[in-house]
Amino acid sequence: MNHVLNITATNTPAVVERLLQVTRYRGYELAGLQLTPRHDAKSLNITLTVSGDKPIHLLTSQLHKLYDIQQLELAGSELAVLSA
Amino acid sequence: MKGAELVLQVLQQHGVDTIFGYPGGAIMPIYDALYQSDVKHYLCRHEQGGAFSAIGYARASGKVGVCMATSGPGATNLITSLADAMLDSVPVVAITGQVSQTVMGTDAFQEIDVLGLSLAVTKHSFMVRSVDELAATLHEAFAIAQSGRPGPVLVDIPKDVQLAEIGYQAEFNAAQPTAPIYTSLVNAAKARALIAAAQKPMAYIGGGVHMAGAMAQLQQFLTANPMPSVTTLKAMGSVAKDNAHYLGMLGMHGTQAANLAVQQCDLLICLGARFDDRVTGNLQKFAPDAKVIHVDIDPAEINKVRFANVALLGDMQQILPAISAGTNCADWLAKCAQLKQQYGWRYDHPGERIYAPLMLKQLSERMPDNSVVCCDVGQHQMWVAQHIRFSSPRNHLSSGGLGTMGFGLPAAIGAKLARPQDTVITVSGDGSFMMNVQELATIKRFRLPVKIVIVDNQRLGMVKQWQQLFFNERYSETDLSDNPDFVALAAAFAIPGHCITRKDEVESALEAMFTWPGPYLLHVCIDDKDNVWPLVPPGAANEEMITEAKA
Repeated sequence: MNHVLNITATNTPAVVERLLQVTRYRGYELAGLQLTPRHDAKSLNITLTVSGDKPIHLLTSQLHKLYDIQQLELAGSELAVLSA
Repeated sequence: MKGAELVLQVLQQHGVDTIFGYPGGAIMPIYDALYQSDVKHYLCRHEQGGAFSAIGYARASGKVGVCMATSGPGATNLITSLADAMLDSVPVVAITGQVSQTVMGTDAFQEIDVLGLSLAVTKHSFMVRSVDELAATLHEAFAIAQSGRPGPVLVDIPKDVQLAEIGYQAEFNAAQPTAPIYTSLVNAAKARALIAAAQKPMAYIGGGVHMAGAMAQLQQFLTANPMPSVTTLKAMGSVAKDNAHYLGMLGMHGTQAANLAVQQCDLLICLGARFDDRVTGNLQKFAPDAKVIHVDIDPAEINKVRFANVALLGDMQQILPAISAGTNCADWLAKCAQLKQQYGWRYDHPGERIYAPLMLKQLSERMPDNSVVCCDVGQHQMWVAQHIRFSSPRNHLSSGGLGTMGFGLPAAIGAKLARPQDTVITVSGDGSFMMNVQELATIKRFRLPVKIVIVDNQRLGMVKQWQQLFFNERYSETDLSDNPDFVALAAAFAIPGHCITRKDEVESALEAMFTWPGPYLLHVCIDDKDNVWPLVPPGAANEEMITEAKA
């Protein structure tokens, strides 16, 4: 099952590493990552797609704790088969 | 002023008068500023020890612990201690020097990616790129370390930032007021309904209660809602000594009464705890008939491993009074009292040799009120939790989540500096003690009257116990019978000591240790066959405890 997370994050040097580290450690696989600086370059729009069998709240609740994450929305879930 | 001086000014603004660390090339400007500072620096003999001392200081006092190290190996040596602080939610600020930005990224001497290393072991971490950001970053570090669920924060400061000039006027009250804790009482009525309806309620108390400063609210809650209670390792001492319904620690080496009662309860009220695997045993079989009320400050703990029928997030001080409903469970209280009676500890161990549980009970009875006991990890750690009675969780410093051997001695140094009026005892094992033995030099240098009790079975006892029970008695690499002479070792650091082997020597040895005004090492030799009981074997439910009689 793929899950798409729309994230607004402070544009700090390690923010993407932090996202990926938590995603890996909590047992989800990276299925996609898009990243665009917002107009002031102080924030980033990040679309993180992950796959995993565990309920997605186990990941989002941990990502929410990252200090550089301003907003996090679960855009939707799709079966990996359909998105392939 | 220089960035280095600014660091010390900001520390003082946050009320920091004690720091632990070790100098080196990339942090020399800060050490130079320390030379004429009012902040008292305690030189450890290994950065891991210094950071454990900061943890001991923080846990014994409730304040933020601060440690410092240089770049490269200095910073990597902090990692284990930061991980320890992360898993036990201890507020620590670690400051590391970094190579100058001109050479950063070139594999310079003593350069390592500390920010990268910090990701898994800190609540947050910073790399300061300009002296203009330095003060704000340090203020933020203190705020993050203490807010919500506390934790360690690392600030990596390149040498050129430490040396850069800045016109800095310390603001009068730059320490930001702590933000109010978001607390939702929306589910309080549901929680009250569950508590009022429960026939077999049970309070499962974790470290989050005392860290929230809610000890008084907890006693009031347990008085207004009489129910049995159990605590985690980190919460030992949370329940008032005169509470008759307290059953002790639960989990792998918990009391039989605690484990049996939790397995039978119909409502489990989890207060600032996280259903750790050492607590639950087989998770699917843990408290199988219980509905769960989960109170925590960290939303990520709710439904992480156990479904909560009702969850309340936020400030324990506000939540506990809001969920008080009154209980009516006299039969259940009587049943738990009977379990407690039936499965009380026995100290009638045969023979002349010292029985560690009895020795620790004697220590507990003899130690002055409000003593702090630090311990390491292994069999002695579980015996400390089982047989010493604590009046506050701040008096029991034990490495819980990470289970870090080598924690005890440096943590005791931090605790003694935080609370110089209180007696500080470290109970260690012969394995753990050697892991940060170099900190005896710190005790010597600062003449810290820390009492050291080494429980010596000439083994890595807990691993040996598992080899005996679960690995066909194949004792792979757990024999320590060539240990050094611990009393002679202490003497090399000008610390007097004494070795005992027989039960009838214990009382006089403890008296000599407590009477001696300075640091003291008591070497207690025990039988290597003694094990920690009860034990919930791996994969089993908590009622399936192995006891000494069954083993």
